[in-house]
Amino acid sequence: MGKVAVITGASQGIGRATAIRLSQEPDISGMALIARSAERLAETREAIGPDTDVELYPYDLADLEGIPQLVRSIRARFGTIDALCNIAGYAEPKALLDTTTENVVRTYTINVMAMIVLIREAVRAMQHHPAKILNVASTAGITSRPGWLAYASSKAAVVSLSSTLADELAGSGIKVYTISPGRCATDLRRVLAPEEDLSTIMQPEEVAEVIARLLDDSESILDGQNIIVRKQV
Amino acid sequence: MKIGMIVLAGGIGKRLGRPVPKQFLLLGGNPLIVHVLEKVLALTEIEEIVITCPASHLDETRSLIANHGFGEERFRCIEGGVTRQESVYRGLEALEGFDSVVIHEAVRPLVTAEEFRALLDAPDPNAMFGIPIPFTVLKGHEYVEDLLERGELVNVQLPQKFDARQLRGAHDAARRAGATFTEDASLFHRYADAPVRILRGSDRNLKITVPTDLIIAEAIYADLVGRRVDQPVRD
Repeated sequence: MGKVAVITGASQGIGRATAIRLSQEPDISGMALIARSAERLAETREAIGPDTDVELYPYDLADLEGIPQLVRSIRARFGTIDALCNIAGYAEPKALLDTTTENVVRTYTINVMAMIVLIREAVRAMQHHPAKILNVASTAGITSRPGWLAYASSKAAVVSLSSTLADELAGSGIKVYTISPGRCATDLRRVLAPEEDLSTIMQPEEVAEVIARLLDDSESILDGQNIIVRKQV
Repeated sequence: MKIGMIVLAGGIGKRLGRPVPKQFLLLGGNPLIVHVLEKVLALTEIEEIVITCPASHLDETRSLIANHGFGEERFRCIEGGVTRQESVYRGLEALEGFDSVVIHEAVRPLVTAEEFRALLDAPDPNAMFGIPIPFTVLKGHEYVEDLLERGELVNVQLPQKFDARQLRGAHDAARRAGATFTEDASLFHRYADAPVRILRGSDRNLKITVPTDLIIAEAIYADLVGRRVDQPVRD
């Protein structure tokens, strides 16, 4: 029986590229794709070949209360979860004095809290068999980013929670990976650096390739580390 | 003497397609326009600062003014014009009764308080900043058409200041003639019978026009505030 991967943020950017890339892995037979936009999720589905069993879950991860039911639905549909890719992200870069409370709450809810709740629920489904969790942080989480206060600090939280969970779950057979991409040509990057020429920087497909390698069974030593994924130009 | 100021923060229509109007882009974590207004704050002889911006961004600009504590009694937002020239004209209308007007633009965030001070203290009623042109400039399009003597040229910078009555007159004359200018020293020189003093500017006072300018500005700003320059702030 093939593996089942759950991917958040699958409607665009790194999430979509990861869904497409993982669909090419012979040992992955099913994918649950989560994102807010049903329309854009359907576009991701169209880019994936017919051999992969894909279910789309249009869902706003800001709704934390509904996440347990969301994961139960996925488990009911596929029977198990072997890989969880937490890729969904939110950014609203502002100076401190222009940062609203709503901005902070939404950023942390999607980037941190939803990730923790999803992991908790997914781990219930992963118990008693080898599985992998991959969390996408950011280089913004490890050095200062003036003007990106909420986003950068939330990504620092992702680095921290991933490190903790890697240790906490070490005995369970569940490996936790963290990658921190540098600037990557995504819609989110467009928000963070609106003047940048996205054609000159790292592409989502390059990050997806790294994710696919980390999720492969042959990889067993890079969990628990914050892996910087930055294209040298 | 009543001194007012116009801060140009974007016209209307020309920014279609840009994800974020340039005046709101972040430099060192703060919007470009905030860098400008922070320097103006201490210039107490400037009684009123009129910020011209697109109607679609009036609320956002007013929020910035409130959030950053600039005070609505001195800093007033009005709708700009379709062109830069029209925005200045509207700013002049808003400053009716003022004797002198300082003009600056939101996309020159690295202007210093000392430059504003030098401009205000200059004895000439009309003055601008300018720097030498360090490269060769030729006339031409597909082929070289003529030479220019760079020693006779100056790279025009802002801020600038003008006798308000004379500048209004020059703008009225330009409007009657249907003439368009990219900045006010040129317009003033053409239509006002009065000299414009050139003060020595700084190559740090760059205008954020293309994306590369923002990268350079970040490096200059990091140097100014003593931040580590090896830090990949744009990664």
